[in-house]
Amino acid sequence: MIVPYGHVLLLAGILFVLGLVCAVARRNLVMVLLGVEIMLNAAGIAFVGAALRWQQLEGQVFVLFIMTLAAAEVSVGLALIVRAYRRTGSIDQNTYDLL
Amino acid sequence: MNWGLFVPELYYLAVCGILLVLSMVTKPNPGRDLVTVLFFAALGVVVSLVSVRLEGTLFSAAYRVDLFSQVFKVLLAVGFLLIVSLCTELHGIDEGHHLEFYLLLTTCTVAMMLLVSSVELLTIYVALELSSYSLYLLVPLRRGHDAAVEAGIKYLLVGTSASAVMLFGFACLYGVIHTTQVAEIVRVLPGMLGQPVATIGLLLALCGFFFKLAVFPFHFWAPGVYQGAANQVTAFIATASKVAAIAILMRIVALSGGGDAYLVKVLVALSIASMTLGNLVAIRQKDMKRLLAYSTVAHAGYVLIGLLSFSPSGYASTIFYAFAYLVMKFTCFLVLVKVAADGSDLQIAQLAGLHRRSPLLAMALMVGVFGLAGIPPTVGFTGKFLLFTAAIEKGHLALVFIAMINVVISLYYYLLVVKAAYLLEPDEDRPRIRLSAPITLLLWVLVTVIVAAGVFPTYLLGVADAAARALLGV
Repeated sequence: MIVPYGHVLLLAGILFVLGLVCAVARRNLVMVLLGVEIMLNAAGIAFVGAALRWQQLEGQVFVLFIMTLAAAEVSVGLALIVRAYRRTGSIDQNTYDLL
Repeated sequence: MNWGLFVPELYYLAVCGILLVLSMVTKPNPGRDLVTVLFFAALGVVVSLVSVRLEGTLFSAAYRVDLFSQVFKVLLAVGFLLIVSLCTELHGIDEGHHLEFYLLLTTCTVAMMLLVSSVELLTIYVALELSSYSLYLLVPLRRGHDAAVEAGIKYLLVGTSASAVMLFGFACLYGVIHTTQVAEIVRVLPGMLGQPVATIGLLLALCGFFFKLAVFPFHFWAPGVYQGAANQVTAFIATASKVAAIAILMRIVALSGGGDAYLVKVLVALSIASMTLGNLVAIRQKDMKRLLAYSTVAHAGYVLIGLLSFSPSGYASTIFYAFAYLVMKFTCFLVLVKVAADGSDLQIAQLAGLHRRSPLLAMALMVGVFGLAGIPPTVGFTGKFLLFTAAIEKGHLALVFIAMINVVISLYYYLLVVKAAYLLEPDEDRPRIRLSAPITLLLWVLVTVIVAAGVFPTYLLGVADAAARALLGV
């Protein structure tokens, strides 16, 4: 293994924190969704690194499933955001304060 | 591979396919759709009852079928049937979308059936996500409510963030432990907690997981979603999906082998916090669905008491309580749906004069609420009694004492509901509520079950005990 596992994990960790900050700090709903996507991909990188470390296929399979589910998540999320935009005319989180 | 083990899931998957095709090729017809789905749901209960004795593992031991999982599949099938039977007045959902509504309910049921059999990280992840995606779509389906769209978006964003956090935790655990089998992970993990990656992984995985299950302190999204969703959807989230949550928690706790002092302490703290906070916040709720949401948080605390005794009797009483919870909660929601027949949110004050508008509904509400509060001779009393006895056998006296105090606190707001239904006079005259014959029958059956299972719990306890033994493999 050319790249040590620790470095892969560090990269994944940095990416995860970036995504988390994006999801928590941004007010735009689309950006929040993007932040979640980045978090999912960070988890994917961590899985690939672990799969390489143990020379197993489980981690790689996990990544395939994550990609599929992330695609489903985006389609569901964007559909909801479009519906909300049609009702309220805004995709700013601050306009959603009924509950 | 033996596909026979997979029968209940395959059956519900086939129903999903049929409903999907129907929703695309036929014109909306609420009456016909309801009858179709009711038929499939009733047949589903039969299918899951027939397959209750199956045993074995599938997909390279990632999926375990045993009496425990099959009993919970029966409970989920019954829950699904009950929720569908609530849909005679589905005014909260646009008439053109009824089939999509049933389709999503069915996919969610399949996902929860998968969840109760999962013993591996990947199957747990896929099953959890499938059930949550169905719910993300079910919540904003409600007609003409801005609150529903808002609740849907919040639920989606909070839920997906939580699953990303959980997934990263899984990745860390896999990176240090070399396996994705839950049994192996919980066996090896205690010795590895010195490594920062393992600790971080465990914390992240648990945070995401508790988020999904709405256990304290990650429950704050639940009341908004309960209030924003249509009444039938709320009933589904509060009954069937909580039963699945109890099952998967039990599975993981049981796989850990039990008795680790650290784990017991964490569970005790979560249990106390969950029930105390749930009960205290429930007191000041005016909306009936929000009140039931917080009572769900409190019940999560009671259920944890059964889990943390790590004994067969503890697990058996938890399974018994899951059944009791399903029936009692559903009875309350049945009354709620019938009283708010136009699909609106029900305030507790609107229950005033219910005993004159419909004596049967008022009685069912009283029995259901007394069950949740744990007043004899209901099944709720028997369930709590068993949970507390199992905990006392293991010496958790202080915990049981705090739980008793909590039961008394909860009595206050449950009695407020009964008082509204029986003693308060309505400020305006509301019409009598007409109940169809099947609903009247269903109400009588539920009331009878709540009382009868409380007085004669022997048979159900036998089933629960056998399921608990299957879970522990003894």
